[in-house]
Amino acid sequence: MSTQNQKTRTIEEINHKILKGDAQVLTAEEMKKLVESSGVEVAFKEVDVVTTGTFGAMCSSGAILNLGHADPPIKIQRAWFNDVEVCHPGGAVDLFIGATNFCEKKPFEYGGGHVIQELVAGNEVELRATAYGTDCYPRTAVKTTITKDDLNQFYLLNFRNCYQRYNCAVNCGDETIYTYMNKLLPHMRNATYSGAGEFNPLMNDPDYETIGFGTKIFLGGGQGYIIGAGTQHSPKNLNGTLMVKGDAKTMSPEFLQGAAFTRYGTSLYVGLGIPIPILNEGLVRKTAIRDTEIFTDVIDYSVMRRDRPKLRQVSYAELKSGIITVNDKRVRVSSLSSLKMAKKVAQTLKDWIDEGQFALTSPIERLSLDTVFKPMRQTQEIPFVSNVMHPAVTCMENEEIRVIAERIVTKSVNHIVVISSDGKLLGIVTSWDITRAMAESKNVLADIETRKVITAHPDEPLENASKRMAQHNISALPVIDSERKVLGIVTSEDVSKLLGR
Amino acid sequence: MARILIRLNENLVPEPVVSEVILENNILVAILSAHINSKGGEIVLEVPDEGVDKIVAAFRQKGATVTVPKLIEVNSDRCFSCGSCVALCPVEAISVAEDLTIEFNKEKCVGSVCSICVDACPARAINSRFSNTENLRSSNGHREK
Ligand code: SF4
Ligand code: SF4
Repeated sequence: MSTQNQKTRTIEEINHKILKGDAQVLTAEEMKKLVESSGVEVAFKEVDVVTTGTFGAMCSSGAILNLGHADPPIKIQRAWFNDVEVCHPGGAVDLFIGATNFCEKKPFEYGGGHVIQELVAGNEVELRATAYGTDCYPRTAVKTTITKDDLNQFYLLNFRNCYQRYNCAVNCGDETIYTYMNKLLPHMRNATYSGAGEFNPLMNDPDYETIGFGTKIFLGGGQGYIIGAGTQHSPKNLNGTLMVKGDAKTMSPEFLQGAAFTRYGTSLYVGLGIPIPILNEGLVRKTAIRDTEIFTDVIDYSVMRRDRPKLRQVSYAELKSGIITVNDKRVRVSSLSSLKMAKKVAQTLKDWIDEGQFALTSPIERLSLDTVFKPMRQTQEIPFVSNVMHPAVTCMENEEIRVIAERIVTKSVNHIVVISSDGKLLGIVTSWDITRAMAESKNVLADIETRKVITAHPDEPLENASKRMAQHNISALPVIDSERKVLGIVTSEDVSKLLGR
Repeated sequence: MARILIRLNENLVPEPVVSEVILENNILVAILSAHINSKGGEIVLEVPDEGVDKIVAAFRQKGATVTVPKLIEVNSDRCFSCGSCVALCPVEAISVAEDLTIEFNKEKCVGSVCSICVDACPARAINSRFSNTENLRSSNGHREK
């Protein structure tokens, strides 16, 4: 029974209060303000539950559904909903819709995420399926339309959701790139980030003291459960993830929205909220965490490697301000996940608890605190530009063409890279340019050099550099660093030696 | 107000085309952006609705190419206020309101000539559909598809 100076409370006590309608529930936003104004002790006395929320693109989302049997029955081999191929992972009529599979007719624009949203909204979707036919399942094709009411089971089943925090992405390259972090303009003309920062569920309970296997949550506008740590769960560096499941029939299309990322593909925006029972003062301190205390890395996505350069650390407070400074440059930054919807998730969950519609559960198993996320074991390494580049033969802009011609002969190369006195790339001349210049008796290098040079970075896959040479119909690329200093050169001969073409 | 995009070829660059058009027609225009070098130029102008036809005709007569950009539209039913579009906008026409709703300022947006935000919207809520002046819709003023 509760006493005035109690230092802890249990989930049973909180549920009892919820039933009676006098549990004190605050959203994460309100909790932070209360702790700041009144302190930990008061907040512990006054608050039973803190609701958190996030709403972001969660690609590892999907839905399991059961169609019931056709007559004659079919053991589905391949199936499509609205022309989006789905997987057939089990028995005859169980299907899995993956959020990122997209429609063959509208590639990148319409995919599994949209199909899930339409089903959740109660719309009809078209099903096409084919099979090889067996004695027990003779049918080889089926075509029909269904709604969620026609399904036996329709579960949202997301195997990696609710990242604790995520990177901030920029592009230091020369061209716009389209990534899962959305459109990134060249030369860091914008930055994107994801995650709700101080509203994120896992950030408010970073030791997973109350969040675990069996915790009941807000999922997609309905109720769901955590069924374990998500794939790539990496708690040691605050990159925890969740695997979650819920009855999609009870969910709402407002909190499950299909999305399309240009040249990346489709996904599903998922609203996910977790109630955190305030069992002790430690949890008061944890749920008081602010955006100024949550940091993430600014990553250069122009580098096509697994380990991309980290340019600096930023706090979520800086990210939410709309401007960050990277390498002395002011970069406008905006979010990819919706903070407005994240707050709506936390508020809705709060309302449910206030109205006695949602009771808390104790986890039956805690999430791991020490899993590491390993890279892929690769039995074959792919070559990078740095593996084959060699020193470039260079010249300065004020050298005589005759001298450069001699250098081409003695070094027996076809390309000379023109550099400034501090080693930065200015241009390139080929043996062909030089021959022509001599024939036309031109003497000034500046008249014949190519200034718009197509370049390569040491860290990019050789395959990419090779494609670029073919695309521009050229046979060498100077290799430069981010400051345009010339590091070497890679030629089509190097490529063919290594890639055999 | 309507926005128009003027493209000048390299022969027109040295000419005071814009000032001439303004003076000869006696219509005030605002220059929203101008990118000009020796090879040619692109200028976005804001023109009062009554003067659009005259101004467009005057620029065309001087040899400039005139495009009337379409308005960018945001379908607020589809927008879930993610914010992806905000930092992309070069003229800061998109902003985050106090309640975290994403707000779109039609007055500031330069229209379909920019379109940077359009393919970045994961909800596909941003479109360029309408010509920005009614009377130009029928003329060959709007060349965007
Ligand atoms: S079209 Fe361009 S100017 Fe208009 S809102 Fe989008 S990014 Fe801004
Ligand atoms: S990118 Fe689209 S969904 Fe996101 S805020 Fe902008 S208009 Fe809304």
